[in-house]
Amino acid sequence: MPLIGTLEFSLRMRRGAYSLDAYSTVFSDIQFRSTFGFSMLMALFTIIFGMLLVVPTAYWVRLRLPQMRPVVEFITLMPLVIPAIVIVFGYLRLYNSSSWIPFTGSTQGTNMLLVFSYITLSLPYMYRSVDTAMRTIDVRTLTEAAEILGAKWPTILFRCIFPNVMSGVLSGAFITFAIVMGEFTMAALLNRPAFGPYLQLIGANRAYEPAALAVIAFAITWLSMGLLQLVSRFGKFAPSRP
Amino acid sequence: MSFLVLENIKKSFGATAVVKDFSMSIEKGEFVSFLGPSGCGKTTVLRMIAGFESPSDGTIVINGRNQNGLKTSQRNIGMVFQAYALFPNMTVADNVAFGLKVAGKPKEEIGARVNEMLKLISLEHLADRYPYQMSGGQQQRVALARALAPKPQVLLLDEPLSALDAKIRVSLREEIRQIQRQLGITTVFVTHDQEEALSISDRIVVMNAGRADQIGTPSQIYNRPATRFVASFVGTLNIIEAIVVDPAANSVRIGNSVVTLRDPIGTSKSGGPISIALRPEAGSMAADAKGDTTLAGKVISSHFLGSVIRTKFDVAGSQVSFDMFNSPDSPLPQPGETVTLRFLASDLLVVRE
Repeated sequence: MPLIGTLEFSLRMRRGAYSLDAYSTVFSDIQFRSTFGFSMLMALFTIIFGMLLVVPTAYWVRLRLPQMRPVVEFITLMPLVIPAIVIVFGYLRLYNSSSWIPFTGSTQGTNMLLVFSYITLSLPYMYRSVDTAMRTIDVRTLTEAAEILGAKWPTILFRCIFPNVMSGVLSGAFITFAIVMGEFTMAALLNRPAFGPYLQLIGANRAYEPAALAVIAFAITWLSMGLLQLVSRFGKFAPSRP
Repeated sequence: MSFLVLENIKKSFGATAVVKDFSMSIEKGEFVSFLGPSGCGKTTVLRMIAGFESPSDGTIVINGRNQNGLKTSQRNIGMVFQAYALFPNMTVADNVAFGLKVAGKPKEEIGARVNEMLKLISLEHLADRYPYQMSGGQQQRVALARALAPKPQVLLLDEPLSALDAKIRVSLREEIRQIQRQLGITTVFVTHDQEEALSISDRIVVMNAGRADQIGTPSQIYNRPATRFVASFVGTLNIIEAIVVDPAANSVRIGNSVVTLRDPIGTSKSGGPISIALRPEAGSMAADAKGDTTLAGKVISSHFLGSVIRTKFDVAGSQVSFDMFNSPDSPLPQPGETVTLRFLASDLLVVRE
């Protein structure tokens, strides 16, 4: 009901008739496009670097350090326990312009810090989806089979393991995308022009546009979830098992 | 020098010694099976040859080159796993081509070799299938082709037939042996199935608790088991407890009968216990049966198995089982009946502990 109410309200910008005026206002707003584009780019970097961190970690833990699995799982769950505001204040103390690693001293540095923050926030979802995908294949035997055929680590990881956990990687990527697109705390406190702070700004100053933005934000989330379902349902490869 | 030499191999995981001083030499083109129960160390030896495990002590030499310190990817060894281990994201052709691509072979050479390998396993028509679209037997044949494609110097087979049903197992083991003979590749086969090992091997290594109890041809292993373990693990040999009468004359007492053995008794003293093995097919109850030795036995049970009748007897306190061909005219021995068992004294074997 609240969603239907929001949708209905977003269509009532023109007096006495339903219209898409609120949506056209939003889409024609240059700030919408720039913040949306910025967040999209941040999401892309988060997914790429996050997966480069998570896939080899999950692989290594499964293959060589199974006893460390509970520890790694606990670490990846930390962002759910520690509020984002605490994490970002920690970052600001550690990486401010007068620290040893002054990430916040430049725009690029701050953007990098924002990507790291997003990776941290999405870790619980990314790690779990990749780890679950790895559980469906016999990582050890596949690795040994590739190794004995002469393959080295990059080949094993990117040609034998990665394609077989792609459904998990994509699931993690879509969840990460949805998180990054709506994230407010990190972007606002690091003063970056992301979509989350823009949503808040519009919400505080306009009437119909926030409703339209809320509907757009929901649509993005649903699209991500739909793609996630699609990927997991049509995963092409089944593991070869006796 | 032999092609594959394992010299005083030892392997421990923590305080547990899994392989204890294992040595053997394998000739080029030979098919050797490691046979033993679970946990006897056979797979660990295989994994050390592959380079997945490093020996705690000892050396592995292949074709004159010490393998210690070499990575798995540098050893040029082919391996077939129990769980097939085909790459699910690749087609049959891509799986077979994998080792060649990794080695950086030219495209034409890869194509030709893949075709050759698929022809060898008679699966050319399934080149574009994915592993999940194939049966277990087909997958394992692809795994064999993949292992052979890069022309490895040694082929390792880690219980490749265990996950298959009985009929496929028999046909695939014959196919493996035929391909091995055709290519003349040195092969080490790990199994816990005695029939498998006896039927396809040039030599068998019977392993027990991390050691090789006996190394020999299938015939030697079956007919002349060196230890009680080999006798009990391979086939269904009967173990009869006897008493040494005269070590110099090789005579022993089984119940009330004194029997002269062909094998030397060794260091056993007169009056001491000794274990004697007798194959189940060596004896007969028929009066006209060939045999220079007789023993009295009491029938415990008798089972009709079609071509064979398996009868259990109590012979001087030891349980002895005989397999005799079915004869429609002979009645089944009845439990409690006392019969005379005939066999050749040369069939009695002295077994070490």
